[in-house]
Amino acid sequence: MLLYNLRMSLLSLKRNRILSTVIVGGIALGIAVSTMFSTMRHAFAKNPIPEKSDVLHYVRMDSWDPLKPYPGDDPTRPPTQITYRDMVEIMKSDIPVRQSGMFMSNLLLFPSKDIGRPRKVRTRMCFADFFLMFNLPFKYGSGWDKRADAGPEPVVVIDEETNDLLFGGQDSVGKMVRIEDREFKVVGVLDTWRPTVKFYDVTQNFVQAPEGIYMPFNFLRPMKVQTAGNTDGWKTAPLPGLEGQLVSETSWIQMWVELPGDRVEAYKDFLAAYVGEQKKVGRFPRPLNNRVTPLMGWLKEQKVVPDEITAMAVVSLLFLAVCALNLMGLLLAKFLARAPEIGVRRALGARRLDIFVQHIVECELVAMIGGAIGIALSLGGIAVLNNWVKTIVNRPDIVQFDPQMLLLAVALSLAAGLVAGAYPAWRVCRIAPAIHLKVQ
Amino acid sequence: MLHMTAVKKVYRTDLIETHALADFSLHVKSGEFVAVMGPSGSGKTTFLNVAGLLDTFSGGDYLLDGENVSRLGDDQMSRIRNRKIGFVFQTFNLIPDLHVFDNVDVPLRYRNLPAPDRKARIERALELVGLSSRARHLPSQLSGGQQQRVAIARVLAGDPRLILADEPTGNLDSLMTREIMDLLERINEQGTTIVMVTHSPECAARAQRQIHLLDGKVVDLDAVPSLSREPILEGVS
Repeated sequence: MLLYNLRMSLLSLKRNRILSTVIVGGIALGIAVSTMFSTMRHAFAKNPIPEKSDVLHYVRMDSWDPLKPYPGDDPTRPPTQITYRDMVEIMKSDIPVRQSGMFMSNLLLFPSKDIGRPRKVRTRMCFADFFLMFNLPFKYGSGWDKRADAGPEPVVVIDEETNDLLFGGQDSVGKMVRIEDREFKVVGVLDTWRPTVKFYDVTQNFVQAPEGIYMPFNFLRPMKVQTAGNTDGWKTAPLPGLEGQLVSETSWIQMWVELPGDRVEAYKDFLAAYVGEQKKVGRFPRPLNNRVTPLMGWLKEQKVVPDEITAMAVVSLLFLAVCALNLMGLLLAKFLARAPEIGVRRALGARRLDIFVQHIVECELVAMIGGAIGIALSLGGIAVLNNWVKTIVNRPDIVQFDPQMLLLAVALSLAAGLVAGAYPAWRVCRIAPAIHLKVQ
Repeated sequence: MLHMTAVKKVYRTDLIETHALADFSLHVKSGEFVAVMGPSGSGKTTFLNVAGLLDTFSGGDYLLDGENVSRLGDDQMSRIRNRKIGFVFQTFNLIPDLHVFDNVDVPLRYRNLPAPDRKARIERALELVGLSSRARHLPSQLSGGQQQRVAIARVLAGDPRLILADEPTGNLDSLMTREIMDLLERINEQGTTIVMVTHSPECAARAQRQIHLLDGKVVDLDAVPSLSREPILEGVS
């Protein structure tokens, strides 16, 4: 019966091509706008690592000024990063399955002379666990092991783009690369990895691409690596320079731990005990305020999805609803003009449900045709949007239309068809057949 | 086959109450061919709508093929219309966008018959009315008589127990009228009950029994001295 209803729907669409075009166009416009803005929001709101997001936790401790809270819209929140000295101490815990303190720096990369001049490359200073913790994909080799952390050993992981630049895309594992004043051995080359949101560090520009180089954290001291990220301080460092920063109350390290659910409380207890000990030596003057926040909660707290984008997505959905409601009138007029045919079908044995379903199928067919055109239009809109975003963050792929968004667009199309068509279909299925049989 | 006893149909507005059928009683045996006549406004169409379960009625009893249909729900009435009743209308009531084949297919679609069964029924029905060669024509490509034959084929495909015909020759010339009446007679000879509303005495004469309606009731013309047969028929011819 579905195929029969589809055939009847196609005949109906052909019967009045102009009206059909207007209705399909209305749905297409609504779907295009709503899909584009929903896709834009989805780019920021989607779970960047669904297979692990529930075990990845971001760690914060409140070592801030006792006289005033850490700046921000919520005075109860601790600083967004932790101090170096606290990172060193809490990294001694064996409760997390994996853990890594980290920060971003800009280091000078020296390609061979035939390739080009030295250039600054964004570099992530991190520990060995970083790669497995965030499931980084490798094209060649792998991350370094924990012995390299301790040394530290002069090893690096580079991304695909850097490998293309330095080694023409060849397997470069074991080859040497000069960074600043040292030679490092490449142990791994990342495969293409472009999360829309740089979820492991949302303390600064989180839509920029991941770093080009990954280096053992402990080169911090020997290379005197400076952070290129945010630093928050409230107290003068006791020493000048990097050494002063390392023993100061300045917070500039992002700290991640991988904790299965049954270890979270133990880890919180561990942090509480640590802060308790520190209080005894005069640190952590504020009330105990540690946070061990799951990944998605942390992204939400950091407002990774800007309110403006959410508002635009909501408005676009309202626009679709308005389109559907406007089309309701056109569909009602179209269906009522067909009352004599409906009278005949009812006389010949069609139930009200049969008539309702026939017309709902027609509405959904219109919606799916409009939806398909709308999706094509939204792809064009997304391309334009990405071109514009590229001029701001130098990435052409921020907003991506993925299978989830395709499903959403189809669901929105069907919903729009239902909203536009349910009332007209209900009205015509209530038509008394006897009235219209004489006037056909 | 069709037993109506004291059936009433009242149309009410804020100001007027119209008794379209008043204590209407009619009994039609299985296999009968009955012609229903009467002047405009006498209740013929209302009777046909009620008899065909296209309209509800306000009181009385109605047994159709042994089943009391007085208090059936809409779905049950649709089912009976689909399986037991065939309609032939004055204006043919074919669906203009559908080919002849698809028009005949309409009632079968609501019976959930398998496709081969439907196809066989449609082809047989079109053959019976002599329109096999026109199966892929649209109604607008056919003459009035051919369109009415398609409508009759639509009825035949459903193989109903009762055919309700509402002035089936009203829009046809005399030659085509004869064709259609011949066809209806042949169908009746196969055992199908036919109740036909008509204004035409010639058509009515081909039925086995004629009944006359006046003011929503069946009347015996000979028992109403103030009315003779001729003025009524003349008045509506």
